Amino acid sequence: MTEEAQQMIEHIARLIRKPGVTLDENTPLVSSGLIDSMALIDLLLKLEDLTHMRIPAGKVQPKDLDTVVKMFATAQRVGKPQK
Amino acid sequence: MQFRNLIEALDAAPPGRPFITAWIDEDERATVTFGEFRRRARGQAAVLRKHGVTVGDRVVIIMPQGIPAMTTFAGAMMLGAEPTFLAYPNFKIEPAKYRSGLAGVTANLSAKAVVIDEEFPDDMLGHVALEAEAKLLRAESGRVGDREPEIETPRLPADSVAFIQHSAGTTGLQKGVALTHAAVLRQLGHLSRALKIDASTDHIYSWLPLYHDMGLIACFMLPMALHVPVVMQSPLDWVMHPETMLQIIGEHKCTLAWLPNFAFQFVPRRTPQSRWTQYDLSSIRALINCSEPVRASSMLEFQTAFAPAGFKASALHSSYAMAENVFAVTQSEIDQSENDWPTGPARLWADGPQFRGAHQIVPVGEGSSGAVSFTSSGRLLPGQEVRIVSDAGAILGESYVGEILVRSDCLFNGYYNRPDLTAQAIVDGWYHTGDLGFSLGGELYVVGRKKDLLIIGGENIYPQDIEEIVSAHPAVHDGRVIAMGAYNPSVGTEDIVVVAEVEREELLASAAEIESEIRSRVVAGMGVAIRTIFLKPPKWIVKSTAGKAARSATREKLVREHPELGVDS
Repeated sequence: MTEEAQQMIEHIARLIRKPGVTLDENTPLVSSGLIDSMALIDLLLKLEDLTHMRIPAGKVQPKDLDTVVKMFATAQRVGKPQK
Repeated sequence: MQFRNLIEALDAAPPGRPFITAWIDEDERATVTFGEFRRRARGQAAVLRKHGVTVGDRVVIIMPQGIPAMTTFAGAMMLGAEPTFLAYPNFKIEPAKYRSGLAGVTANLSAKAVVIDEEFPDDMLGHVALEAEAKLLRAESGRVGDREPEIETPRLPADSVAFIQHSAGTTGLQKGVALTHAAVLRQLGHLSRALKIDASTDHIYSWLPLYHDMGLIACFMLPMALHVPVVMQSPLDWVMHPETMLQIIGEHKCTLAWLPNFAFQFVPRRTPQSRWTQYDLSSIRALINCSEPVRASSMLEFQTAFAPAGFKASALHSSYAMAENVFAVTQSEIDQSENDWPTGPARLWADGPQFRGAHQIVPVGEGSSGAVSFTSSGRLLPGQEVRIVSDAGAILGESYVGEILVRSDCLFNGYYNRPDLTAQAIVDGWYHTGDLGFSLGGELYVVGRKKDLLIIGGENIYPQDIEEIVSAHPAVHDGRVIAMGAYNPSVGTEDIVVVAEVEREELLASAAEIESEIRSRVVAGMGVAIRTIFLKPPKWIVKSTAGKAARSATREKLVREHPELGVDS
């Protein structure tokens, strides 16, 4: 796992604040109800931060953000390098 | 206004004047002049005509916010067809909720054509209800051709339907509101005078979705018919980076914008304080708070943050609007004088117990103990009438709180294909808004929703939808669930609080597990998260005489036991 993915997992753990829930880069987040739409915005912002990409939000569907692995793949697919 | 229909109004626009600037990111934007917009709209009309679209056909447009979606809409209107925008699927909308909504709405409209873009997700396609003859069209990308397509367009009588806009509604039951050219033009005429629109100097800013009346009427039809330039960005880009709104307003010297209440807090809070002064908001002459109950504290927060950026207190305004009335019923008075004293929404303090108990507004001094504050949504536009009625239907006088009824010269005639809903909504010519409010001194104040509708981040959530999902959990006593909104001052919008009775008291031992299952189900079904779930033993919820869970009494009991909820501000 990359350092960025690890940072994202830690960020999500802080966000959901659920002791007892263990997360890895393949834990379903959206489909399991662990996070909701307002939290997804926060995750996309974090993803922009970690990847130094600008991610056009209109090109992102919920399934693209369901796991940490999918998030980074989505950033690669639709992101533009930040200035 | 002198035009018979909206297309005539568009045709009269100076061809070289910029119309829409779509702001994509810091280094990408697309602009069309009125002339170019007309040409592209005619091109889209030609494509639709080729696919058999004609007068009176419904055309459903499900495209990302932008110029192609708007030219398709205008092109359909040119043919005398009835276009409507539906929300494009995005990461904020839970797929299950989106699919059921899409299926319900498209089935009710029985559209002749459904226009989508090239990137529309394939897994959603199966949920577009298509009649036997209907066509699913992928929008033509790029330019239509250099030559203005020669298509014959029909005469569009003033009383013919111009388009259908959707009102908020329970999941899958969004109601289509068919509006005539005449009704829309009358509304735009009222707005033009009330807002003192000057097409040569005004410039509108918008991030508002086109499938919502604020986005469609105020930020597309109004600029189109009154020839005002508009700069727009996608709602998703705004929600991700609300600070870009400040940049765009400054760059384009925008003068007018509409925002829901929560945005007045969201923008300053999501913009680092060190950058508050970097922008130039001095061009804004009216920033209109519309579509959620207006809260003075939210507007004040925006004003305080951006006064050093040149934002004028006199630019704070409010309006009460709804899809069923095309758009606005009221608008706060706009003073063109250089006077910087706030002329916008009136504000008053009233005795709290009188308001809650007797539904009467008894003004008290600012900051009196137990006082509640209200901010006006403005004065009636010409051609608008409002009545406040009690639960029993009696007409109430000034300062009494009741349901707001509207009658006007731009009111809709009914919900599309839903005579049942129309009969409930329009009685003797009066539209029953379901909103609660009062009039005082010529100002209309909106205080809440009769049906306890929850507004979460600008989105209407019906508590019944949540209650149904929670009730379906095996550990929860069927029907003994109440969902309610609790205003969260830190985000300026409501949070969802649920109280539910378990089947048997011993189930409370596994409360944490049940709560987590309920949360997953609600997010999966509705796309929203619950802030707090209170699981209670059997017989905790207050029942009405009919044996149903009594919402307001249960709410009061919950607040008594959990004062930290601070339900309502």
